[in-house]
Amino acid sequence: MRMLLVEDDAMIGEAVRAGLRQDGFTVDWARDAEAGDAAVKAEAYALLLLDLGLPRKSGLDWLRELRRRGNRIPVLILTARDAVADRVSGLDSGADDYLVKPFDLDELSARVRALLRRDAGRAEPLLRHGELTLDPATHEANYRGHKINLSAREFALLTALLERPGAILSRAQLEQRLYGWGEEVESNAVEVHIHHLRRKLGADFIRNVRGLGYSVSKAP
Amino acid sequence: MTSSIRGQLLAWLLGALTIAGLLIGYSAYHRVQEDIDELLDYQLKQLAFSLSHQSVDSAPVPPGLLLPEPDFITQVWDKDGVRMFYSRPNLAIPLRPRPGFSNVEWNHQAWRVYTQLDGFRIIQVAHPLSLREEMAASLTRRAVLPLVALLPLLGLGIWIIVGHALRPLSSISSALRARTPSALEPLPQRDLPEELVPLVGSLNDLLQRLNRALEARRQFVADAAHELRSPLTAVQLQLQLVKRAGSGEERAAALERLERGVQRSTRLVQQLLTLARQDPQEPEVDRASVDLDRLAHELIADFEPMAQHHRLTLALESQGPAHIRGDRESLRVMLSNLVDNAIRYTPRGGVIVRVQQKGNDVKLEVEDTGAGIPVDERERVFDRFYRVPGHKAEEEGSGLGLAIVKRVAERHGGHVTLDSGSGGSGLRVTVQLPCGNS
Repeated sequence: MRMLLVEDDAMIGEAVRAGLRQDGFTVDWARDAEAGDAAVKAEAYALLLLDLGLPRKSGLDWLRELRRRGNRIPVLILTARDAVADRVSGLDSGADDYLVKPFDLDELSARVRALLRRDAGRAEPLLRHGELTLDPATHEANYRGHKINLSAREFALLTALLERPGAILSRAQLEQRLYGWGEEVESNAVEVHIHHLRRKLGADFIRNVRGLGYSVSKAP
Repeated sequence: MTSSIRGQLLAWLLGALTIAGLLIGYSAYHRVQEDIDELLDYQLKQLAFSLSHQSVDSAPVPPGLLLPEPDFITQVWDKDGVRMFYSRPNLAIPLRPRPGFSNVEWNHQAWRVYTQLDGFRIIQVAHPLSLREEMAASLTRRAVLPLVALLPLLGLGIWIIVGHALRPLSSISSALRARTPSALEPLPQRDLPEELVPLVGSLNDLLQRLNRALEARRQFVADAAHELRSPLTAVQLQLQLVKRAGSGEERAAALERLERGVQRSTRLVQQLLTLARQDPQEPEVDRASVDLDRLAHELIADFEPMAQHHRLTLALESQGPAHIRGDRESLRVMLSNLVDNAIRYTPRGGVIVRVQQKGNDVKLEVEDTGAGIPVDERERVFDRFYRVPGHKAEEEGSGLGLAIVKRVAERHGGHVTLDSGSGGSGLRVTVQLPCGNS
């Protein structure tokens, strides 16, 4: 799941990115609203993590601008402003959630997952598809009653495919979901992950639509 | 002496009224006495005159006299000195041959006597002088008594009127009591008596200054708390990353990041404390003679490792000793902030420190080859926690460096200016400090 972090503090940005990566998210990091805006225009992010105290243009102004342009990306505000009035104005400006600094990495991940769930129209925290169950919080996978071990990337790839069963995702789309800025992507990385997943889930769990990409069957 | 205005006014006014009453009574008594003397003398004369026209045997006291009959004594003698008539046989005043008025001491009493000679008779009319005094006293009493009776009423009136006039004072004091450090709005100045306007004016002035000082403090504390959040957030996140680290390598990297986070928090707290110590309201420390040139030498040596780490050249252009009177520790902090900033914000090139004594001033310059500060930002960079947007340091600064520099310079009677470096790029900070050898 690829998301954009807009945060001007180097230490906080670095730590949030590292923490979210450990939780299986791909995070791009912009230092101000301008860079963030360019990123949002270039890529389709699943979520925006936004600091409000940005240099030049405030996070709140940029958020209002995004919403005016009709951008529906889920937004989680990360800020040191903890007054009730600030929270209210943050949420009323178009944010979906509000987290006050200092915050806990686990709570941040949980809120991110909740927002993504809500955005996908699901209430159930677990992702189910036939006999496969994925727990985004613990990264545990169960298939036919047995626990299977998935790497972070495998888990992310499977999650991407299971979000919309039947839909075909191209290799480029999957790469984009899995790798952030500045991360080396080997040319056959996606094929390698698919190969490993097929070995764990059976060869026909993930279909290969030649020339288009990959999908899981709509009805298991 | 009571210090109550009301009590003092009451005491003084009542005292003055009493004295005035006594003076009035005293002069009234004398005037009345004079009038009575005149009147009764006239009466004596009249009586004597009327007696002179009557036969001696049946000499009655004429009616219509002010004094009752027994108060008068009338006596008639013939020209040989034989008493022909007494009105009061048991009271016989000796004969006064001198005509006209005279005062006579007789029978343990002072008497007023009128003697009339009319050819063959001597007529004498007299009454005791004490009579006159009684009359004068009684008349005076009647005039003064109402005033005495009025005194308590007057006192009450004064008490009430003064209380009423002083009411604005008590309303001001209750308004002052209602002021709290969080609500220092000025006192109302409408409908104030003229005498209280300057007092309330200066009180309001004080309240305003107090309010501004408190507001500045409050803002500083709020800013400081806000600014502390960022490094603390970083530390908390870094700590969690340490806990989560799987491999030893990850753990070492996370610990290193945590260490930097803690250093940053420590530095911010130190800078906050330094700034608080340089507050204009803090007491002055003892000043001593400080050689800025030597101070710069020492600092350059301290910063050499940091400059090397950043691959920068660090140089000092010195022209010999440059003494000023000042607080050595603050001056060291000031210079250290300047050099630290210069190194932090200069990606390549170098930093030059110049110390120069010029007349009664010492000029301190720190010049770097970094990105410089745009002209329209040069005012704002002295504000606390203001960071030039897009200025990337390797690590987040405290945002207090230049604020501290400015405070220290101002406490030493100097000032700070910013301009571009010699080549038109970079930043040159100039601190001008008076020697203070007066």
